[in-house]
Amino acid sequence: MKLKYVLFAFILFVGFSCGEKKSDKIIIGVSMLSMQNEFIQQVADALEKSAATNQVELIIVDAERSSLKQVEQVESFISQQVDAIILNPCEFEASSPAVDKAKKAGIPIVNVNSSTKSKPDAFVGSDDAESANMAMELIAKKLGGKGNILMIQGYMGQAAQLDRERGAKTVLAKYPGLKLLASQTGEWDRAKSMALMENWIQSYGDQIQAVFAQNDEMALGAYEAAKSAGKNIIIVGFDGSQDGLKSVQNGQLSATVAQQPDLIGEKAIEASKQIANKQTIPAQIAVPLKLITK
Amino acid sequence: MKELKAFFTKTPTGGIFLALILVCALFSSMTSRFLTTTNLSVILNQVSVNAILAFGVTFVIIAGGIDLSLGSLVAVCGVVVALLSQNNEYGLWIAVIGTLVAGLALGALNGIIVVLTKVPPFIVTLGTMTIGRGVALILSKGRPISDLNESLNFLGNGDLFGIPIPILFLVLSYATCHILLTKTIFGRYVKAIGGNEMASYVAGVRVNRIKLYVYMISGLFAALAGILLTARINTGQPNAGLGFELDAIAAVIIGGTSTRGGKGTITGTLLGVLFIGVINNGLDLINVSAYWQQVIMGGIIILAVVLDGLYQKLKMNI
Repeated sequence: MKLKYVLFAFILFVGFSCGEKKSDKIIIGVSMLSMQNEFIQQVADALEKSAATNQVELIIVDAERSSLKQVEQVESFISQQVDAIILNPCEFEASSPAVDKAKKAGIPIVNVNSSTKSKPDAFVGSDDAESANMAMELIAKKLGGKGNILMIQGYMGQAAQLDRERGAKTVLAKYPGLKLLASQTGEWDRAKSMALMENWIQSYGDQIQAVFAQNDEMALGAYEAAKSAGKNIIIVGFDGSQDGLKSVQNGQLSATVAQQPDLIGEKAIEASKQIANKQTIPAQIAVPLKLITK
Repeated sequence: MKELKAFFTKTPTGGIFLALILVCALFSSMTSRFLTTTNLSVILNQVSVNAILAFGVTFVIIAGGIDLSLGSLVAVCGVVVALLSQNNEYGLWIAVIGTLVAGLALGALNGIIVVLTKVPPFIVTLGTMTIGRGVALILSKGRPISDLNESLNFLGNGDLFGIPIPILFLVLSYATCHILLTKTIFGRYVKAIGGNEMASYVAGVRVNRIKLYVYMISGLFAALAGILLTARINTGQPNAGLGFELDAIAAVIIGGTSTRGGKGTITGTLLGVLFIGVINNGLDLINVSAYWQQVIMGGIIILAVVLDGLYQKLKMNI
């Protein structure tokens, strides 16, 4: 009986050590915020695609929104001695130790899409505040600088929510005719935002002229609620997700600010490959945004 | 007047009913938009998914168990119905019935593991909750599934005789569950095994079979909730239903069902669901800051249950 276990353990051991043969390819460890988010998933897909064309090997793991998990994942990348790390941070402060640890171990680290307090070797992504600015400017233009707006926020306290709120509010400050009727969280979620919008339609009715949602999922939820209530409202989303783009094409959402996940993924792989090969690269690699309207 | 007094003092749900009336009065004094027929219809529409989930899990909790996999089951079933009704491949009925069968099967899986392994249901369903989330992601490849059958959308957003269809489902589910729990032998057995499992076994109740059935009921209603959610938002989403189990279980407990099993009512659960729904709706209407909403929500729930406890004590003394 005991012999069986020993044999089993032995086979396992042999199996694992076979798998560990190091290739001469560059290996990059990637820790993503959450694979349950469509946009993050698109960035991850782009990373994989670009890794294949660039002949680098990727180890992609999902932090499931937990910055603690993310730090642990980076620790294990360090002990695996990867050549570079790509970090899609969960949180501004709490994911910072991951950056510090990688730098201390001498492994180059590149932040993607959102930032951390500790400065990585390079940052690849777009500026959230600036993009929210673009979305709100469009609403201001459509309303002729005067009208009532609702804002659906993401998870309160997350970097993306804070930045997008800041960006939107700078535009509101610029146009005194624009009035923010209310702003609440839709938790990045379509069903939650649909319920929120239904409630708003009850309390503000025909006063509502435009909605800015901090992501496309929430914008689509708001659209469903407006459609059911027979209201024609300007709704602008954010991210340029597949569903969001399709909805803009069909004339449902008025616009979405598209970040370019393909480009973000591509630039992140290029940057980390260059840095692993000891080339110097700029610390900020900005990926442009696109305002998508029909 | 006498009947009214009797209702409040005799029925086990009187306390939460009182609390519900109080919050309604509070909100209607703060905004004229609260007490309108359209807003009440909006509230009923919004609570339908949680209500249907909560009705199903009431059986499990009365039988002394718990089902934490509800939210994941909603996601799996929501994705399944979306896949089945994508691009009009099959008819609406095949999609709906297929999904209900899937829900029954997943509930049965919970039940079988609980009965066979004797592992506490808290752990079993915590495990299946994680498995379910994974399955939903695998089936949908991590993406929302859109381009659904128009008739499915009708289930979520259409109406029949002027009543929104989710509300009809809510009423039907309520009636079915209420009758099942109060008027059938099965319902009596569920209470019996929740009250004293050993005694029921000795008395000849097939405890394992009843346990299996309650998890199947929970799975079936989770499937129905998943279908309605997908129909309402017009997409199947693998990350839908996150945390739904907590809302459903909270509603059941607010509604006076004992967490130790043995007693509880479907009417109580309905009141609990409405209580949560009314607060959610009202806080949006009076535009409480997003930061404060959660604090107030939690506070009111605790207050309601504490008041209900006091009320029950008071009732004993009358």
